[in-house]
Amino acid sequence: MESLVEHLQRFSELLAVSRMTHVSTWDPATVRRALQWARYLRHVHRRFGRHVRIRRALERRLQNQWRQEGAPGSAPVPGLTNFQALGRGDLLLSLRLLENRALGDAAYHYLLQQLFPGPGVPDPDEEALQGSLARLARCRSAVQLLRFSGPGEKSALQDPVLKTQAELLLGRLREVPKAEAEGPSRFLSTLWDRLPQNNFLKVLAAALLLPPSSPRPQGEELEPGSPQTPGDGAQELVRWLLAKSDALAAFCRSLPVGLLTSVAGRHPALCRAYLGLLTDWGRRLHYDLPKGTWVGAEPQHVSWEELYGRFQSLCRAPPPLKDEVLTALEACKAQDGDFQVPGVSIWTDLLLALGSGS
Amino acid sequence: MAQDSVGFSSDYQFWMQKLSVWDQASTLETQQDTCLHLPQFQEFLRQMYEVLKEMDSNTIIERFPTIGQLLAKTCWNPFILAFDESQKILIWCLCCLINKEPQNSEESKLNSWTRGLLSHILSAFRFDTKEVGLFTQGLEFTPADYYPGLLKNMVLSLVSELRENHLNGFNTQRRIVPEKIRLLSRICIPLVTLPDIEPLVEALLTYHGHEPQEVLCPEFFDAVNEAFLLKKISLPESAVVCLWLRHLPSLEKATLHLFEKLISSARNFLRRIECFLKDSLLPEAACHPAIFRVVDETFRYALLETNGAPEVIAAIQVFTGCFVEALEKKNKQLKFTFKTYFPYGSPSLVVVLLQHPKEIPQELWHQPLKHISEMLREIVEDQTHRSHGGPFECWFLFIHFGGWADIAAEQLVMSEAEPPEALLWLLAFSYSPCDGSLQRAQTMAEVKAVLIRLKKLLGSPSLSAKDLQAAAAESRDRDPRPPLCQQLIRRLLLNFLLWIPRAHVIAREVLTLLAPTDELTHEMTGFLDQTLYRWDHLRMEATRPRKLARELLSELCPAGTAV
Repeated sequence: MESLVEHLQRFSELLAVSRMTHVSTWDPATVRRALQWARYLRHVHRRFGRHVRIRRALERRLQNQWRQEGAPGSAPVPGLTNFQALGRGDLLLSLRLLENRALGDAAYHYLLQQLFPGPGVPDPDEEALQGSLARLARCRSAVQLLRFSGPGEKSALQDPVLKTQAELLLGRLREVPKAEAEGPSRFLSTLWDRLPQNNFLKVLAAALLLPPSSPRPQGEELEPGSPQTPGDGAQELVRWLLAKSDALAAFCRSLPVGLLTSVAGRHPALCRAYLGLLTDWGRRLHYDLPKGTWVGAEPQHVSWEELYGRFQSLCRAPPPLKDEVLTALEACKAQDGDFQVPGVSIWTDLLLALGSGS
Repeated sequence: MAQDSVGFSSDYQFWMQKLSVWDQASTLETQQDTCLHLPQFQEFLRQMYEVLKEMDSNTIIERFPTIGQLLAKTCWNPFILAFDESQKILIWCLCCLINKEPQNSEESKLNSWTRGLLSHILSAFRFDTKEVGLFTQGLEFTPADYYPGLLKNMVLSLVSELRENHLNGFNTQRRIVPEKIRLLSRICIPLVTLPDIEPLVEALLTYHGHEPQEVLCPEFFDAVNEAFLLKKISLPESAVVCLWLRHLPSLEKATLHLFEKLISSARNFLRRIECFLKDSLLPEAACHPAIFRVVDETFRYALLETNGAPEVIAAIQVFTGCFVEALEKKNKQLKFTFKTYFPYGSPSLVVVLLQHPKEIPQELWHQPLKHISEMLREIVEDQTHRSHGGPFECWFLFIHFGGWADIAAEQLVMSEAEPPEALLWLLAFSYSPCDGSLQRAQTMAEVKAVLIRLKKLLGSPSLSAKDLQAAAAESRDRDPRPPLCQQLIRRLLLNFLLWIPRAHVIAREVLTLLAPTDELTHEMTGFLDQTLYRWDHLRMEATRPRKLARELLSELCPAGTAV
């Protein structure tokens, strides 16, 4: 076991290095060793795939490593993240080396010979790797071809690019060590700080809207007795959003209204938070008698039109959500004094506007 | 060698030109032309690889100075990259260009350039927007994680768009433009054998738009059909039926492909034929009358061309059997009258023929047999009303359900009574449909005489092969029997051997006397195979005859029975 773990660690380092300029020092022999290790680990994966205890032990070691590498500034994700990755170690390594311009000509030449030996290869492992790479190339051109057919108007519910990113995100989230409760949150916060926020928020929304039985992205089997179900990932996201107010505010403010309604419909906790924000925003508006409308004190405050638009969208949603929203509005109106006359309480006015509209 | 290289050089020039015209295959014409040439271009790439792998990088550049252009243009044409193994072969070719020890800046540049192309095909990420790029790379994903997932989601999205379009009816705003669907079908042509694309292919095949003319391009149907016949794609039956209903050439090709398997030179046992048939999905598809008619017509043609070869007749029978089975399974969904399948036959006759012997007790089989015989006789001998075609049409219909003729033959042998005229007529008709009434009457008389003689032999204490042969022989004072009549008599004799326990002992001897030539052995093998097949399907309890039949069959045809 120890030597196995050592191999794992070494290979993990190797994977990390394979993307750096350090590979310029690699010669064909180094490449050969690296590929051999990858192949050895693939055998390990095949052999121990069914031995749950060994898998768990190995994964624990991998995650320990992760923890150590979790220092700020370093990549959030190390080379090998889970047992599944062992089965594809050679693929991962090969792609990284192929992409790395720092790899010398001799080493690169050797790499190509190993990866693409040509037709009629007797070795099943080599053939499998060559096949995977060819399939990847074919898959890429398929994606390009399908793009020809035009994007069409796609809501975030259906946008394949967002959906794919969402699935990948959930996949990574599953790999975060479960031992620590804060693991996932820290991970998400790191991402929030480092990645373009607009896209990240959209991906979060798409992830929250994935069907509950969404298949795992890389065909991983469900471990017997594993506590994680696909729904857990979404729960982690909700928890994180609720805990991080700036993210939540940005989430609710900048995403398209319809999308938010869908998310609120699926996740009651978020729905409540969203309603909470809406009421906050509503309270900041005051009635301008001369103009005859509700206005905000400052330009960045949510406008009446926007507020109305959001409530309208929520009220168009199917029953549980719609009813909850109306109940909340009624409660606010009651709190304000239950006026029937417009211009006194924004909640009255909203209900009036919604009532006539819907 | 010189000849080869001249040929190859001109190919090279040809393809170079083509690639330049195709460019990135962004117009309808270039796409269509590229798709037409995909298999040949792949072949060329293979040949090119064989040439390149023998040389080193410098020699290649000397010999083919424009190779860089050729390979680059190939890389930039997504239709080529998407097809079958072209991307793999292209990668092999590019690998040949890499120099492991570049001596000067030119060689280094070539290396760098080649690496760029390889990266473009394999390892680089290309994104619509920068944010997506930062996201995916920020989370340390490789192309191997991203692209397969993206492809799957794109396919899902397109499939649901297609299905929604189906339901949207006249809501013209949300409808997909027909041009886009045609484009989609064109795009799928190189991708047909990629498993991830199957759901899209299926959705396209079952897509029923709102336009009167066919919206999918014909090359798409061809590509899917080809892949299906070669088993490179697995499609549900409903999709295959749509394919064949929408594109007649595909159906014709599928039928011919089947025929080649069925009617090959090697002896195919009926079990195997049944497997081929079920595999091909044609019997199920034939539940649609349009498809049935096409297949049936092909059978008719084959029958005429081969002058009624027994193999073809057997194939028709097995096909009809599978077809009826499939029809019964679907009886809730499809309701066509039998006339739509057999327009050339009288409907009442069809109904009687379709009765399954299994559903009638064995003792009562003579009833439907008599009925069938009478109906057929009426139609055939009725000179004035040719409403249901001539004797051939009748006969063609009848042989679809040829089991009845075989049952008639057995009944004649097994029963103690005098051979009924109806059965004799039926047999004579089934073996020789175009006889005039005089000829037929003669045949019937001959057969009756042989049967009587055979049964008389049962009365005597000993039974020898010579006796049987004598009983079945032609009488010298009459005209020689026509070959088909002779065949019929051989058949009856064989039945006699199988069904009369006393005759089992001499069976082999008789067979040797009966079937001295290869051709006759072939005929006997066919009879035995057919009989066993029929008994299995009828689940007949016929332990001893079955055992004998099997033994005889394996002796005649040691190459192996399919059972």
